[in-house]
Amino acid sequence: MFDFKITDSKPKKQTEGGLYDIVIIGGGPAGLTTAIYTARDGMKTLILDRETTGGLAATTELIENYPGFPQGISGMDLMDRIRQQAERFGTEIIEFEEVRAVVPVEEGLIEVHTEGDQVFQGKTVVIATGSEPKKLGIPGEDELYGKGVSYCATCDGPLFKGKDVVIIGAGNSGLQEGIPVLEYANHVTFLEFLAYSRAEQILQDRVRAHEKSTLIFNHRVIEIKGERAVTGVSAIDRETNEEKFFPADGVFIYVGYSPYTAFVRDLVDLNKWGYIQTDELMRTKVPGLYAIGDVRADNPAQMTVSVGDGTKAALAIREYLQNL
Amino acid sequence: MTLLNDEIVQNVKDMLAEIPNEVTLTVFTDDQNCEYCTEIVQLVNEVAATSEKVTVEQYEIHKDNDRAQALNIERAPAIAITGERDYGLRFYGIPSGYEFSTLLHSIQAASSGNTDLDDQVKSFLSDLNKPVNLQVFVTPTCPYCPRAAVLAMEMAIVSDLVNADVIESAEFPDLANQYNVMGVPLSVVNNQERIEGAAPPHMVVDAIRKALAA
Repeated sequence: MFDFKITDSKPKKQTEGGLYDIVIIGGGPAGLTTAIYTARDGMKTLILDRETTGGLAATTELIENYPGFPQGISGMDLMDRIRQQAERFGTEIIEFEEVRAVVPVEEGLIEVHTEGDQVFQGKTVVIATGSEPKKLGIPGEDELYGKGVSYCATCDGPLFKGKDVVIIGAGNSGLQEGIPVLEYANHVTFLEFLAYSRAEQILQDRVRAHEKSTLIFNHRVIEIKGERAVTGVSAIDRETNEEKFFPADGVFIYVGYSPYTAFVRDLVDLNKWGYIQTDELMRTKVPGLYAIGDVRADNPAQMTVSVGDGTKAALAIREYLQNL
Repeated sequence: MTLLNDEIVQNVKDMLAEIPNEVTLTVFTDDQNCEYCTEIVQLVNEVAATSEKVTVEQYEIHKDNDRAQALNIERAPAIAITGERDYGLRFYGIPSGYEFSTLLHSIQAASSGNTDLDDQVKSFLSDLNKPVNLQVFVTPTCPYCPRAAVLAMEMAIVSDLVNADVIESAEFPDLANQYNVMGVPLSVVNNQERIEGAAPPHMVVDAIRKALAA
């Protein structure tokens, strides 16, 4: 019943400094893949991450559709391996360094300014910042964050042992992350805005088959209630317009993701949802500036695609640097 | 049946191969009320078997109350990780899942007495003149929790006035309720300042500053 994992548990901060061939902003699957390629190719490679490396993938309890792991693998384990692979070839990684601005200086020189008032210089820069869980923007959501409202079921699920939980959103993320919560909780109610689930059928089947789950569709959540702690969720039945209250001690929110692009909003082209537009070589309109992974338009937010993006950028960068 | 598989045992051996000084894992069980005491004793013994420098002492919290008091242990299961001296490193609950990493890092740190903290943080901690209690609430399934836990333990290594309690929240629901733990990692400084998430060292320093000023 127990498992034991060994991961690197210290912030990464070592850096040689100087001019890098590539500065990668974001250490998720896409950014780390670029680093594996470029560092292995002998290019001086730096990754900056505003948190710890691993990205959203690291908080996924179990990844079952990444090739090569027939039994599935925990997101953290997989990301740990990928990071080690990048480091093995000499990638430098700095964590907890949030980027404030990207400043193209001239062809072959782009500066990356951080909130910690550091400036890093790259001949090329890759934006691999991914996306972050979208908020609902309803009353109670911010006020009760950390008091029963959470965006990481993998982390916080065990705290709701024997308790009632509502998961808002019955898409892939909601169901995937809700399944482990079912093991701990007394009952899990999935509330979905749409009249159906867009999740993979295998996930829907697993949730439906579980005795402790209820799936409710066509409901718009309007408020998370509670003062010191969450007491429940109010939602409108979109068919009858009736307001209903769902008692709960914990609320996990999985209503999609927003791209993390605030720091380059005025520099690159964004699509109407805020994702960065690139050509097929992952190039933005700024020479030497690339975007890959979930932050890029037309990326379906799948890890295998992000890894592919990372590879394409690495190959394009090699060619760009050769011609510089 | 062992808890650690061969691959993990080999990794633990590698991690502890070069620890310089002896480390004692003092484990406290509770005969009256303890879900995983058998497993925790087995686990620390399996870890100790990988290195000549790691030894285990085992006590029952009620019967060996003097020993528990001497190490400031109020609840079980608990592990005190001590090196040449007692740096104040405590783990409450079974360090399974990602928290196994926290245990191994704490053994390394208690053995060497060294940390990776930068000079600014070290100098802040060295200048403390009041006690600082860091409680880090974790769960075994939380990938970011060892960051917060190891940071607290490193701070305890630097200053004798700092002690670090890492608490497996699901095993101590009363304590988790008392501190209203609804998300992990949660670090609590001197029972007042709260830091949610795996925060960088300077944020913990700020929280310590605030807690001491209050």
